[in-house]
Amino acid sequence: MSSNGRGSRKLIEDVIGAGLCTGCGACVTGCPYMVAYEGRIVVLDKCTVEDGDCYKHCPRTQTDMNAVSEKVLGVPYGAEEVGHALKIHMARSTDDQIKQKAQDGGTVTTLLALALDEGIIDAVVCTRMDEDKVPHGYLARSRDELLQCAGSSYEASFALEAYRKIPHESTDKLAVVGLGCETEALAKMKTDLPINSVNPDHVQLTVGLFCGWALRSNTFHPFLRGLCDPSQAVKFDIPHTPHYTFDVYTSSETKSLSLDEIRPYINPACQYCWDMTAEFSDISVGSAGSKFPGWNTVIIRTGTGAKLVELAEKKGIMETQPLPEWRLSHLKTVALNRKRTAFKNITEKTGDKNDLLYVGGLSEGVIDKLRED
Amino acid sequence: MASIAMDKPGATALLMGNEAVARGAIEAGIGVAAAYPGSPTSEVLPTIAGAAEEMNIHAEWSSNEKVATEVAAAASFAGIRSLSIMKQNGANVAADFIVNVNMTGIGEAGMVIFISDDPGGMTSNNEEDSRTITKWLDNPLMEASSAQEAKDMVKWAYEVSEAVNLVVFVRGVTRLSYTKGNVILGELPEKREKKAYFPAIWDMYNPVKSKFTSGPFPVFHKPLHEKLEKARAIFETSTFNRYMGPENPELLIITCGACTSYSTEAVEALDVGHRIGILKLGTTWPLPEKLVGKYLTSTKKVFFVEEMDPFVERSVMELAASMLPETSELAFYGKRSGHLTPYNEQSTDLVIEALRDILGLSYQPRDLNYEKEAEEAVKLVPHRPINMCAGCPHRATFWAIKNAIKLDGRNGFTCGDIGCYSMAFAGPGFFQARTMHAMGSGAGVANGFGNLKQFGFDQPVLAVTGDSTFYHAVLPALVNGVYNKSNFTLLILDNSATAMTGFQPHPGTGELATGEPAPVVDMEALCRSVGAEVRVCDPFDLEDTTKTLLEMMRKESGARVIIMRRMCELVRAKRKIPRPYTMHVDPGKCLGDSCGCDRLCTRILGCPGLMWDSEAGKAAIDEALCVGCGLCADICPVGAIIREEVS
Repeated sequence: MSSNGRGSRKLIEDVIGAGLCTGCGACVTGCPYMVAYEGRIVVLDKCTVEDGDCYKHCPRTQTDMNAVSEKVLGVPYGAEEVGHALKIHMARSTDDQIKQKAQDGGTVTTLLALALDEGIIDAVVCTRMDEDKVPHGYLARSRDELLQCAGSSYEASFALEAYRKIPHESTDKLAVVGLGCETEALAKMKTDLPINSVNPDHVQLTVGLFCGWALRSNTFHPFLRGLCDPSQAVKFDIPHTPHYTFDVYTSSETKSLSLDEIRPYINPACQYCWDMTAEFSDISVGSAGSKFPGWNTVIIRTGTGAKLVELAEKKGIMETQPLPEWRLSHLKTVALNRKRTAFKNITEKTGDKNDLLYVGGLSEGVIDKLRED
Repeated sequence: MASIAMDKPGATALLMGNEAVARGAIEAGIGVAAAYPGSPTSEVLPTIAGAAEEMNIHAEWSSNEKVATEVAAAASFAGIRSLSIMKQNGANVAADFIVNVNMTGIGEAGMVIFISDDPGGMTSNNEEDSRTITKWLDNPLMEASSAQEAKDMVKWAYEVSEAVNLVVFVRGVTRLSYTKGNVILGELPEKREKKAYFPAIWDMYNPVKSKFTSGPFPVFHKPLHEKLEKARAIFETSTFNRYMGPENPELLIITCGACTSYSTEAVEALDVGHRIGILKLGTTWPLPEKLVGKYLTSTKKVFFVEEMDPFVERSVMELAASMLPETSELAFYGKRSGHLTPYNEQSTDLVIEALRDILGLSYQPRDLNYEKEAEEAVKLVPHRPINMCAGCPHRATFWAIKNAIKLDGRNGFTCGDIGCYSMAFAGPGFFQARTMHAMGSGAGVANGFGNLKQFGFDQPVLAVTGDSTFYHAVLPALVNGVYNKSNFTLLILDNSATAMTGFQPHPGTGELATGEPAPVVDMEALCRSVGAEVRVCDPFDLEDTTKTLLEMMRKESGARVIIMRRMCELVRAKRKIPRPYTMHVDPGKCLGDSCGCDRLCTRILGCPGLMWDSEAGKAAIDEALCVGCGLCADICPVGAIIREEVS
């Protein structure tokens, strides 16, 4: 799956300059010429490499979905609305400390802390908000550090830039937590190994997060600063329908904004994203919805994911319960709508109903099912 | 004893043009020399300074050329002969004073200004023919064509200056200033008996005698023109004007300055000395019209061989027009006819080509095969673009600027200025300088950009200046920026040197031109007292410097300052301060030109201390050139460049 002679210049032309950059951070993992800064990719100098990792691994350049799916999930890419799944249920942590910091059920923090504890992994590539609640890629090596990463910023955080902090010769076993675009980038890295970054085969575990869209730090934060002192915020939340708000919790109060107020700060690249449930992960986690406060929906996609969840249950640090049929049905509907909207936006952008931009390697049957007729 | 002041009249010394000028001034008995460094003239002042004590001369580096000429004029007002020295741009700076001292006249003692131009702009930021300034300001002008002539002209210029009571210009070019020639030394002056005294005349009925100008100005302007005519009369019989050739030449070359050699060599090479006459003019303004007129009537063709402006060409053609109909048959060749261009240096080859065309001659300078081989051989010479020295702090400063501007993301830019950091317009400074004009113009132009918010302008503005340039011309711009609340950040690149011109001292370095200690201007205090916010950074601390730049660029306030303080690498070497680190590249870690690096250190940072081993595909340290500053270790994305502290 070669990039056909493309490097950073092509990346800037095809993705960053074309309004497709999702803010995943894959391009900056091994690159001294580009950095993620204040919610954007900044190009510091010109690189002349013609066959660059940046272009190969970007989730918005041509992706052979089948090849990637085979590599990461062991199956061809299908038409399932929520992606390939072995099991789907609900889960939550039993650990009070984790539950206090968690967005919903604390599942991600619990599973990763367990994996660290058991020596399954040595470090986690994830996201951490700084004092002013701007998220950055972060490398967590302990439960305490993981706790600092709990909670959603709802922003594109360039999580994969944390990969940079790992020395090339490191043999650390890694886990990666990311949104759909980030896990897709990682899956592309596994399929077409980077030339000079840490070997992604070291990544033992990928945890994906459900995502509808992400805000851009560079535009959202000036707006946020007008509302409150971001350093006082303790949690952000977008409760599911029928709510239509973006909630900012500080230690003293809760500010509830209409989602319409937030829309100008959404990354326009998100309108081309079809992967709401982070399909290229071992486990995908999201909120279970307003009927199940404090619970996560968990999609187990691989044996690795299944084993870890089993272990967590066995150790009593996590409890699970079945996901009601209506809830699953709702999830599938929303996910399918996401795909169809994305395909519509993509073909509008390309002006050609057969040019799906970065989405490639799909069979006709799959495309038809996913596309709105 | 300084050799320039050796007491050996009649002895021959091998002197640079600049040194010959210094000797000429010393022989003329000057008491004051003032200048600002500027290639190609920078050697004159230090040469005089070397003999300052024994010859009782006050030799100073002034903060700019205007002050330098004012300093020299005061000496003349007080009866002391003086010399001021400058390159072509300095004449522009000094012009306003000269135009006024031409109104009042100088003092009893002569004042000479030596200007050396830079045709082709090899060491300048522009190309300019300064001769027209003497026409514009109404001063006599001489042009030297050899080191000997430079000495003799400067000495004689004092006599002319005193005879006409005007500043006299002696002009050279790079080739004159830097070419060495045999100079027969003259006598050293007698010891000065009279004390310096300024008569400070105030005569209500004879204001022309005063040194202040007062209206009505035509009263002062008329005597000025009369002085010029007096100079013209003196020039008619000057031996610096010489004719060589037949009585009635087929073609008359009128030439001056460095072009004298090109003309004589061309005539020799073509072996047409029997057909061509050469009138070499040493005094070119005012034109000795009787002399030139005589030669105009001896020929049918006139070819002007001079560099840059058709200065002599125009005044001679003016003369020819006034001599009509006697001169109606003359054909003129030069800039107007396109035989020589008004740009760049001339050369013997160019003159030969022109003569070939004018006279219809054939001439093969060298064997055609040899010519072909020579042209092929040139292709073997490696391309060597300009660069900053290994260890130059400007490299670090502009790296930080480049990154800060990109991170800031609002299309910020830097207004450049004159000095080693001028190279920031090109690769060595990562193409950061986006405007560049005269000394101090960076801050001046930045002032202008910083005023444009009301028109929607939202780009952060930076200006750079060196420490010497700061004292030369930037201070008023900084005051303007604070007072007029212009939104820009001034970066003073304080490397403790006037580096580009040769490490002359300045008000911040603690030393005078003579080497004596001098008070040091406190740059931070000076900027603060003007009302600017001041930060100080070490450019080699890239993180702190980049952070400070970002902070300052994001402010909305009047002019503010960051002093980038780090000693110039060559100053460190001269002061024998030990190098901080030894460097080497770990080839095991180096990624070379592959993805993840793409030769960031050798291709973009470009320090001469780094080299690319194309066989191994790795970067390496050039131990002959690396000075161990350590900067590259911070740039390498994989830590392959190792720096070790020198114990």
